[in-house]
Amino acid sequence: MASSSYSNSPCAACKFLRRKCMPDCIFAPYFPPEEPQKFANVHKIFGASNVSKLLNEVLPHQREDAVNSLAYEAEARIKDPVYGCVGAISVLQRHVLRLQKELEATNADLMRYACNDMPSSTTNSQYGRRMGHEGAGSFGQTSGLYYSSPWNNEPYDQDSQERGGDGNM
Amino acid sequence: MTLKGGTSQACAACKYQRRRCSAECPLSPYFPPEQPKLFQNAHKLFGVSNILKILKNLEPGQKNEAMRSIIYQANMRDKFPVYGCCWIICQLKYQVLQAEEELNAVQAQLEMYRQHHQISSMPDDGTSQLELGMAPPSNGLSLFNHTTPQHYNAVPAAALPVPQQQSYSNSSKGVYTSGYMDAKDINVANSFWAQQPNYANNNNNSMAIQSQLVVPQQQTIQQEVVQDYDELHPFFDTIDDRQSYIDSKEAYESSSEESLKDTTQSTEHVAENELKNAAARFSLTSVN
Repeated sequence: MASSSYSNSPCAACKFLRRKCMPDCIFAPYFPPEEPQKFANVHKIFGASNVSKLLNEVLPHQREDAVNSLAYEAEARIKDPVYGCVGAISVLQRHVLRLQKELEATNADLMRYACNDMPSSTTNSQYGRRMGHEGAGSFGQTSGLYYSSPWNNEPYDQDSQERGGDGNM
Repeated sequence: MTLKGGTSQACAACKYQRRRCSAECPLSPYFPPEQPKLFQNAHKLFGVSNILKILKNLEPGQKNEAMRSIIYQANMRDKFPVYGCCWIICQLKYQVLQAEEELNAVQAQLEMYRQHHQISSMPDDGTSQLELGMAPPSNGLSLFNHTTPQHYNAVPAAALPVPQQQSYSNSSKGVYTSGYMDAKDINVANSFWAQQPNYANNNNNSMAIQSQLVVPQQQTIQQEVVQDYDELHPFFDTIDDRQSYIDSKEAYESSSEESLKDTTQSTEHVAENELKNAAARFSLTSVN
């Protein structure tokens, strides 16, 4: 069998597909022969041709991250065929919400103590306004998610999205 | 392609594949013809046969949820071609970290207030406080003001996620050098990848909890579709409600600086008088 890159053994993808592993095999750098399950999962969920097309669309230095994220999503989908990795997103969103509520309650308690300790009423209102706005509200700003929830029935706005978005910093 | 004599339009999946859309088309409920992009994204990531394979093994009640997650995953991959859903997971984990740090800080602050409240509610007896080894504070807030800055300074160091050195493939290269992630994203991404199981060991991880998930209820929080990747930057800029602590700290420092200035000026004034007196004595003695 042909060698992949500088090793003598074909990559996991070519081994799985039972084909000759060429020197310019796009899978070889990211699917080493020691991790056969990684490609098996990715192939099962997404398919080799889809993965190949995806890798060709991203820059070479981004391909390792792309493969790793695909492998993660594939494994998640195999373990949970209904929700896949989206289940983790839901759990995290609820965790964030819970923390936000707890933070608001704790800030409210803090304001109560702070207002009781302040000597004058005007100072109380200024401090309370500041704490109320920035203590509880600041995280409220950050918890506003900048992406759609998987469980909203929002139509996908194809015109608003920017392709290659995570390459444009 | 429309059905002959029928009023129903072909679904987006059959339109894309240019085939007849029958009444039993398994994908037509999920891909309405008005939203062709949905199917294009799903087709690009999964492919029709893979989607049907996933649906085939599910119970009828689970198919809707599965399709929603598949469509969402495909849309996220279209928005973020490199990371897909993993980008969202990283963001959320970072939010959780920030929230927990903030909560810890506020709870510590609250605890200090409670202790101060307990101390101030004790009888104002100088003898009893001396017995406790505490000097009676001149201002009830001084104890709080002295300790707050130290606690505040301690928080940021703990708030930063510790960068890990492992990637998903368990290689030695830990930090992404792609150039399109700032330092915070790199730390979050590294910690995210480091939590993934060693592929060879196939350990259990947080993904196991997905099997116990119930369908989440309608979210009432504000949710916006990412218009531009740059919009994520304000997310990181606004995570700082410590401005209130900064304001109080600055007010405290500025008042202490002013008192220092007054002291310095009076000291200099006294020194000048002494020099003049000394100079006068010297001139008198030098004549003799």
